[in-house]
Amino acid sequence: MRSPSRAWRWLLRKECCELVLSRSWWVMLGLTGPLVGLSFIDAVRAYGEASGLGGTAAGLADAMWPLDGILAPTLSAYEVVALFLLPFVAIRMVAGDRQSGAARLEMQHSISPLARVSVKAAVLLGGWSVASAAGLLACILWKSHGGSIYLPEVGSIALGHLLNAGFIVALAAAAASISEHPSTAAILTLAFTVGTWVLSLMAAVHGDIWERLAAYTPGEMLQAFQHALIPLSRVLAGLALVGGGLSIAAVWMRTGVAVRRRASESIAIVAAGSALVFACSFVRTGWDVSENRRNSFSEPEEEILRRIRTPLAIEAHLAPEDPRRFELERQTLSKLKRIMPKVEVRYVSATSIGLFEQASPHYGEIRYDLGGRRAMNRITTSEGVLETIYELAGVAPPKEEEAGRHGHPLAVRPAHAGLLFYGIWPVAVAALRLFLKWRLV
Amino acid sequence: MSEVLVEVSGLSKAYGRVTALDGVGFSIRSGELLGLIGPNGAGKTTLFECLAAVQPANGGRVILKAPQADARRRSSLMFYLPDAIAPWPGQPVQWALEFSLDFLGGRRNAYREVVDDLKLAPFLRTPLGDLSKGQRKRVLVSLGLLSPQPVLLIDEPFEGLDLRQTRDAAAALRKHVAAGRTIFVSIHQISEAARLCDRLVLLSEGRVVSEGTPDELTALAARRLGQAPPSDFEEVFLALTE
Repeated sequence: MRSPSRAWRWLLRKECCELVLSRSWWVMLGLTGPLVGLSFIDAVRAYGEASGLGGTAAGLADAMWPLDGILAPTLSAYEVVALFLLPFVAIRMVAGDRQSGAARLEMQHSISPLARVSVKAAVLLGGWSVASAAGLLACILWKSHGGSIYLPEVGSIALGHLLNAGFIVALAAAAASISEHPSTAAILTLAFTVGTWVLSLMAAVHGDIWERLAAYTPGEMLQAFQHALIPLSRVLAGLALVGGGLSIAAVWMRTGVAVRRRASESIAIVAAGSALVFACSFVRTGWDVSENRRNSFSEPEEEILRRIRTPLAIEAHLAPEDPRRFELERQTLSKLKRIMPKVEVRYVSATSIGLFEQASPHYGEIRYDLGGRRAMNRITTSEGVLETIYELAGVAPPKEEEAGRHGHPLAVRPAHAGLLFYGIWPVAVAALRLFLKWRLV
Repeated sequence: MSEVLVEVSGLSKAYGRVTALDGVGFSIRSGELLGLIGPNGAGKTTLFECLAAVQPANGGRVILKAPQADARRRSSLMFYLPDAIAPWPGQPVQWALEFSLDFLGGRRNAYREVVDDLKLAPFLRTPLGDLSKGQRKRVLVSLGLLSPQPVLLIDEPFEGLDLRQTRDAAAALRKHVAAGRTIFVSIHQISEAARLCDRLVLLSEGRVVSEGTPDELTALAARRLGQAPPSDFEEVFLALTE
């Protein structure tokens, strides 16, 4: 008699065992510690020096926040792990079954291929979470040095890396299912990664549609989370990409289906996924979980802006590589889009760097249209943009706030970190592997 | 005559310009040990894979006539054990047997008997990757025997087994058939197939050239040759596949 729960338990246990028995996962785990350690030691040293260690200019220390100085740089090691180690673990998990013939036995159960590949992905993300222990150790060590940790910021970065890892797992699973050999799958996965870098480069040079597309590449998506901003659009788009990748993997895992049908189903999934990601780009909800509200305007300003219901169109004549455009987007417009319900931003430029457009009389102009009332200036600072919007809306600006929050400078050296990450971590990983192998086999 | 569980008609499969199966038709009956024999490259493995829906066929029909079968899912009726696979190399044999018992919901009451018949007890804790070819084959055959489906397809069940092991495995297969299981095996050892199977399907160049009991096929070969029935079944095979 078939018991569905027993089958699921067997499958979950099998995937866990496969992960624990795979050398690639242990290599990833073993290397994660030193990589995180390297980032952490560098980050603490730089943070300490900027905080006054060795005699830094007074004033700079007040602007030091662990999010920028410690958390994001330390945990960025996981970006390297996700890009260059995790794909091999995922490919081994998916392609291994096919190569050994296990897939041909397992696929004879009624559990759907999508469910099977989802179990694999869940186990791989479980394996990823184990590797996250190195990041957790870094946070604990930082705290033990007297450093400040704001948990929502850690959560935001961890969520970003988890989504990134999920996407890499889904991509690697799809590549491993499509290709006949694991090496081909590895090439496909790395080619995709390089492709996203090219896309980011194109976005930086050409802007426009490239910029919108590049916003959903794993690297770009991660950036927001590293600034302690959780944009719902990116969470949803990330989940859609993970779902799409796993669905394609499931399509190619099925046995007894003609290649032409699988290809057409894959194309349909890509089309549906692209439509979903495009739809996600219209979602403007997001949560600024940073300690110093760096991704938001002040609360009184946000209250006034939320009350402006008239559609606002902004046309900025700035080239993609112009630093003013970067400042305008990052410091003001990205915040504005999350607060005001109806904001449309359009960039106009004839070139990518804007250097030779400076002579053009309209270059640098920022034109505003708020329900037919228009204004134009060249100010790219938050204060200037908001002032223009208040004037157009006919509302009074809020009263000036007290001086902003102060940072958490800490002038310490990364004591014990080298021993922990370069010595104890690899030894502990090796010992754990031996113990688990002894228990399992 | 026992009831037909699976009816195959006009089954075709091509790999590019190479035709592997060309209008294959035969039936699998309840409670029989059916053998598929044919020269190398006859399409035996392709036929098994198309039958088990591991590969898509280009044409033809596989009709599941068993009342308990889900017509959309052949694995509801048949379990297919491919040849030349080495699944779960890091896992012990005991764990692999749980695939049939826990994952597929297999014949738990037959567990002890299968382990004894195929002499698996000495290496139940050995990882599959450390087994010899013959040992691994016995484990795989045991997976098939423990599976819950009424029909079991095994591609080359005796490949890699020595004489004694082949006899043990053949006896185990016969025991399960006697208990009501239907088993369809592809065998390249012709004489072994004639001794073991109730009926045989002869496949040559992707076509079924004959189907029947060994006695029926021997008589058919005698008619073709126009002489007394050959004493060796290999002669029968050669006569029918010429």
